[in-house]
Amino acid sequence: MNELPSSDFRPDPELAAVLRSALEPSTDQATFVARVMAQYDRARERGPVPIPTFDVLASWFRPGVAAALAGAALIAGILFGRTMLNPATPASIETALAPAEGSGLADLVTSPNPPDASVAYTSLVDQR
Amino acid sequence: MASSEPDAALVAKTVAGDRAAFGVLVERYAGQARRVARAVLGDPDDADDAAQDGFLSALVKLEQYDAKRPFGPWLMRIVANAATDRRRRRTVRQAEPLDPSLVGGGPRPDAAAVRSELGDRLRTALGELPERRRTAVVLFDVEGYSHAEIAQILGIPEGTVRSEVFHARRRLRTLLSDWKEHVR
Repeated sequence: MNELPSSDFRPDPELAAVLRSALEPSTDQATFVARVMAQYDRARERGPVPIPTFDVLASWFRPGVAAALAGAALIAGILFGRTMLNPATPASIETALAPAEGSGLADLVTSPNPPDASVAYTSLVDQR
Repeated sequence: MASSEPDAALVAKTVAGDRAAFGVLVERYAGQARRVARAVLGDPDDADDAAQDGFLSALVKLEQYDAKRPFGPWLMRIVANAATDRRRRRTVRQAEPLDPSLVGGGPRPDAAAVRSELGDRLRTALGELPERRRTAVVLFDVEGYSHAEIAQILGIPEGTVRSEVFHARRRLRTLLSDWKEHVR
């Protein structure tokens, strides 16, 4: 047997030969092949070859993730569209404080008298 | 059917339902699959059961096989996993020597008996190695797979494969040199 250094990672033919003979199967190859093919035929007779549960779950993984992403995108789109069509807040404070008629904000800010809270409230509510 | 047909073509035919194509694949890889399974399990009958499980499992997964990659490592991974599963299912979990019923007694007179004794010693030595180590050395030295391919088969880093093969060889070579001294 060759005394190969630790850095030598080439296959060792002598070791290969003795290992191969030590692992030689107990029956001939034709018998084994016939046995596998008999199992193949039996599986075909029963219908499609049964797939282990884990393989079924694995096959669902990608479509499942895709469906979840599509669903999330749909919900996000609906929420976004609803927000854009029905804004909950006015665009600016001036808009919020602007009365439906009259001088409005300027009078409110420059008046020496404090504003009537009920009037300001009505003005805000009417804007909505 | 021509047995020289490439693996990828045979796989495509098998997926399409061609029984003969599957038969050629089984013939082509039977020896390799049985040896790899035996490296994992030790017992030759268990190994054949595991190799058969591996072929049938590969059959149902053939559509997942990437034809751009070599078929052998893909199949051997399935076979090695089938053998490991079978080993885990065994009730006896001790560190058993491979094929203990074949381990011989004292020296025998003829050359065949001497070879048989060497085989017994090797199987015993293999059985004493960790499962991954003996599978790695069999895939490398007997089946001729590269370290990268073995890494793919066993699902471990390539550097670990190198280390496993190195340690397995060191143990087996020591055994062989002792045996050579013994028969002189």
